[in-house]
Amino acid sequence: MLNIMMVTLKGIFRDRVFQGIMALAVLFLFIPSAASLSMRQVTELSVTLSLSLISFILLLLSVFLGGTSLWRDIERRYSYSVLSLPLRRSSYVLGRFLGLALFMLLTSTVLGLASCAAIAVSSTLYPAERPVVWGFLLLALVYATLKYVLLVAVALLLSTVSTSFFLPIFGTICTYLASGISQQVYEYVHSPAAAQAVSPMLKQAVTVAYYLIPNLAGFDLKLNAIYGVAPNPGGLALTAAYFLTYTAILLGASILVFNRREMK
Amino acid sequence: MYALEIRGLGKTFRGKKLRTVEALKGIDLCVEQGEVLGFLGPNGAGKSTTIKCLMGLIRPTVGSATILGRDIASAEARTSVGYLPENPAFYDYLSAEEYLLFVGRAFGMQGDLLSRRCEEVLKQLELWEPRRRLIRTYSKGMVQRVGLAQVLLHDPEVYILDEPMSGLDPIGRALVKEIVLDLKRRGKCVFFSTHITDDVEKVCDRVAVINHGELKVVDRVENILMRGTEGYAVSIAAADGSVEERVVAEAQLQGVISDAVAAGRSILKVEPRRKSMEAFFLDIVGH
Ligand SMILES: Nc1ncnc2c1ncn2[C@@H]1O[C@H](COP(=O)(O)OP(=O)(O)O)[C@@H](O)[C@H]1O
Ligand SMILES: [Mg+2]
Repeated sequence: MLNIMMVTLKGIFRDRVFQGIMALAVLFLFIPSAASLSMRQVTELSVTLSLSLISFILLLLSVFLGGTSLWRDIERRYSYSVLSLPLRRSSYVLGRFLGLALFMLLTSTVLGLASCAAIAVSSTLYPAERPVVWGFLLLALVYATLKYVLLVAVALLLSTVSTSFFLPIFGTICTYLASGISQQVYEYVHSPAAAQAVSPMLKQAVTVAYYLIPNLAGFDLKLNAIYGVAPNPGGLALTAAYFLTYTAILLGASILVFNRREMK
Repeated sequence: MYALEIRGLGKTFRGKKLRTVEALKGIDLCVEQGEVLGFLGPNGAGKSTTIKCLMGLIRPTVGSATILGRDIASAEARTSVGYLPENPAFYDYLSAEEYLLFVGRAFGMQGDLLSRRCEEVLKQLELWEPRRRLIRTYSKGMVQRVGLAQVLLHDPEVYILDEPMSGLDPIGRALVKEIVLDLKRRGKCVFFSTHITDDVEKVCDRVAVINHGELKVVDRVENILMRGTEGYAVSIAAADGSVEERVVAEAQLQGVISDAVAAGRSILKVEPRRKSMEAFFLDIVGH
């Protein structure tokens, strides 16, 4: 498992993904100057921009790395040489996941440091009324990372059932989009206003979808970091537990499916 | 205990539109330890399908198989096997050396033993010079040699090679033959598929011929060659030194030799004239 994890990491580095991210990280240099254009709330804007940029990069990584890592092995026929080693399929899937997760963690650490620098520059140039609470920023980063690691697990599960990269990539994007609106849709169909307009069937379908689709709202601590509002510890613990359970279920399902997968 | 024991192995592929392909129709085959068996069949006969079943890459529809007594359904069955896939591909963002280290660790090797074995096989397969270059820069022949290196690395008891000589130049083919013969000398079991009869004739103890997913013949190579004997070429030297060559049928051989001896002439050589392995193979697969 560790072996596969190391190979996964090496593959990502050799494919110059990390170098690409470093190139994107140059954008952080422009955050202080971009934020200063707003004249007021420069620090707040710097935090917003940094966190959004990191989220966007992590989203790209989880969709494209997560969605293509198994598919590529099968497409390029590496699977014959690797899965015929005395490895369990479960170790292979877990190794892949851990390698990707570790890379996401590394990326968010490096980008997090870059954004801290950018925010520090902004807040010294334009001292804010509210000082930046670095602890909350860190929490926001950690939970954003967890959110996209969970998305990697979604992408892996979709890769184990699919023979192309189409389903994993677009399925993961759809899951991400749906997770952003599922709460509102759920609340709408269950609201009194919708009681007439929505058929019971649709209501049930939405309820099922609501419980199936990951609920990623709790992972978003951007507002806490921007305005220095302490997040609710109970909510944090619940979100962490949710992450662990949901990811474990996704990985378990991936292993079950991949165990039965034939390398034709 | 057999090195390989295949019992009633069958595989049906489900294709598109409910079409099914019965690629293997119940194969029974046992391979002894220390034996080199050639798995001979034309393209599409079911050789790779059999081998993929053995390596746990696909699941047989019916039947079972064991490798050194261990069921192929478990990953442990593969611990004592070196497998070379057909037209192999290896993680091409690694160098040959890194790939071998990866494979060695998967087989539970580590430390000095692993680095020593890596060096040995890299040198044996003439990959020592380019060992630090990424596999994506290698030629096809070099990739095939990486494949052989990762097969030999952990010195397994059983070798399953899917068309190890296909796509190689004469030097590469000679190298593969040399390796198989060396393994035979060291008492290892080699099971290799091929569609080239010459390969079988040169290195195998036994041959199993497969066509349309069925085993047609399993026999020792020398038996097959003897079975194909069409007669004998006898060279007889007369008293005046002239040499006479005659082709005689098996039934007449004794008579011809004793007549010659009685007449005071000497027998220089007696050679069986036989159908080649290739003719035999073409007979079986019906051409
Ligand atoms: N994934 C697959 N789906 C459908 N049919 C297959 C598949 N793989 C192999 N076959 C069929 O099974 C038969 C045996 O193939 P194979 O074992 O690859 O032959 P070979 O002896 O050349 O290695 C062929 O008729 C081939 O078309
Ligand atoms: Mg084949």
